[in-house]
Amino acid sequence: MRILLAEDDPMIGASVRQGLTQDGFTVDWVRDGRAAELALGERVHDALLLDLGLPRKAGLEVLAAMRRGGDTRPVLVITARDAVGDRIAGLDTGADDYLVKPFDLDELAARLRALLRRGAGRAQPVVTLGDIELDPAARAVRRGGEPVSLSAREFALLEALLARPGAILSRTQLEDKLYGWSDAVESNAVEVHIHALRRKLGASLIRNVRGVGWMAAKPDPRAT
Amino acid sequence: MTSIRRQLLVWLLAGLLLAIGTAAVGTYLRAREEANALFDYQLKEMAASLTDAPFAGVPPPSSAKGAASDTLVVQIWDRNGVQLFMSQPRRVLPQHAQLGFTTINADNGEWRVFSTLADGQVVQVAQPMSARRELAASLALHTIVPLLAVLPFLALLIWYTIARGLSPLDRVAADVARRSPDLLEPLAETGLPREVQPLVHALNGLLERLGQTLAAQRSFIADAAHELRTPLTAVHLQAQLAERADNDGERSAALAELKGGLDRATRLSEQLLALAREDPDVADRAFAHVDLAAIARAVVANAAPLAVEHNIDLGIEAAAPAIMRGDADALATLVSNLVDNALRYTPRGGRVDVKVTPDHAGTRLEVADSGPGIAPADRERVFDRFYRGTAAHADGAARGSGLGLAIVKRIVERHHGRIALASGIGGGGLNVIVSFAVPIP
Repeated sequence: MRILLAEDDPMIGASVRQGLTQDGFTVDWVRDGRAAELALGERVHDALLLDLGLPRKAGLEVLAAMRRGGDTRPVLVITARDAVGDRIAGLDTGADDYLVKPFDLDELAARLRALLRRGAGRAQPVVTLGDIELDPAARAVRRGGEPVSLSAREFALLEALLARPGAILSRTQLEDKLYGWSDAVESNAVEVHIHALRRKLGASLIRNVRGVGWMAAKPDPRAT
Repeated sequence: MTSIRRQLLVWLLAGLLLAIGTAAVGTYLRAREEANALFDYQLKEMAASLTDAPFAGVPPPSSAKGAASDTLVVQIWDRNGVQLFMSQPRRVLPQHAQLGFTTINADNGEWRVFSTLADGQVVQVAQPMSARRELAASLALHTIVPLLAVLPFLALLIWYTIARGLSPLDRVAADVARRSPDLLEPLAETGLPREVQPLVHALNGLLERLGQTLAAQRSFIADAAHELRTPLTAVHLQAQLAERADNDGERSAALAELKGGLDRATRLSEQLLALAREDPDVADRAFAHVDLAAIARAVVANAAPLAVEHNIDLGIEAAAPAIMRGDADALATLVSNLVDNALRYTPRGGRVDVKVTPDHAGTRLEVADSGPGIAPADRERVFDRFYRGTAAHADGAARGSGLGLAIVKRIVERHHGRIALASGIGGGGLNVIVSFAVPIP
């Protein structure tokens, strides 16, 4: 899952990016409100992690403009302001959740996962499709109850495909999920990872629609 | 404890008693004078009546009129000095040859005697003076008794009136007692007696200043707590990353970050302390004659390693001693904050100039840099606590606590100086100019 982090404090930003990357998120980091709006315009991120005290354009303004523009992506606000009024203002402006500084990395990751899950219309923390189970919190995948070992990129790819089974994702869309701005995209990387996933989870799980992209489908139990 | 009520009561009663006493004495003196005239006339009349009628034995005592009749003594002598008549044998008056009125001192007190000569007989009518005094005293007593009788009621009235007059004080006291640091509303000034109003007015002034100070301190604490959250959040996250580290390399990198976060939190708390110490309400520490040039040179020397690290050309121009009255520690903080700021916002390869110039008008300190400067519109706001210029975000590492200039401003104010911002080196950058008034010799 690719997250946009809008945070002006260099130390907090660096730590959050590092921590979330360790938790399997792809994180892009912007340091002011204008940069956040530009990045949101790319529509490649699954969620926004927004600090309210941003220079150049305040976090609440970014949020309000985003919601006015019909952008429904989940937004988690982080701020040092903890008065109830501030929280209400944040939530009423369109935030989905609120974290007050200082916060815990694990809690931040958990809340992000919950937001992404809700954003995808699911209430269960574990994603299932056929006999495949994906647990975003534990970063574990099981096939027929048996644990399957996946690399971080393979996991991210599978998570993206399972988020909306049946929906076709293009190579660019998949690459956007896998790579942040600072990552160099390897050529054919998507094909390589999909090949690995098919090998580990069964060829019928991920279908290729030639010229369009890939989608996840209920695996055919007869195929292996 | 003194009581206004008791004092007023005692003094008013004392005054009343003095007035009554004076009235009594006055009445007595006047009554005695009148009694003298009256009784003298009586004596004379009596003597005349005795001499008009030829002596025929005992004169009827009833012929003597007035309250003092029973004290009258009548003696009649013939020309040979033989006593012919004596009305009261026990009261022996000295035989007196002087005619007319006399006052004599007998064994039994003072007597008023009227002697007259008629038909070869001396007729003497005498009356003790005490009778007149008694009459006067009784008259005086009659005058003051009613006054003395109403005195207790008067005392009660005074007591009650004073209590009534002082009751606004009780109300004010109750009003003040209801005030607390959270409730510093002004006291009601209407309906107060003219004597109490200045006190309440002064109290309201004090309450207002107290409220302002408290509000300023509260907002400072709130700001401080809010600002401390940011470095503490960073430290918290950095510690968590250190915890998660799988190998020594990651761990030592995370710990280095953590140390940086701790340095930052420490620096912020030190700045907060410095700001609290420069609070204008804190009693002035003793000012001394200090050399601002020497202080600035020491600060620049201290900052030199940082300047070298950032590849910034840092220099000072302060040849002549600049003696002024001030707090050496605070002035060092002032110069150091300005130099730190200049170094923080000036890009690598830039330049920072410090200049101290003493002249007849006072002492002038300038810290100029070749950094991005501050737009004139923002120049007022930079002195606010926790304000950070947008330029600070261009380079993440250059971020400050947002307190440096607020502290500088406080120190300048405490030294009755002035601070101004202008464009820095080569028209760009920032020049901070601090001027202090003429040193008091």
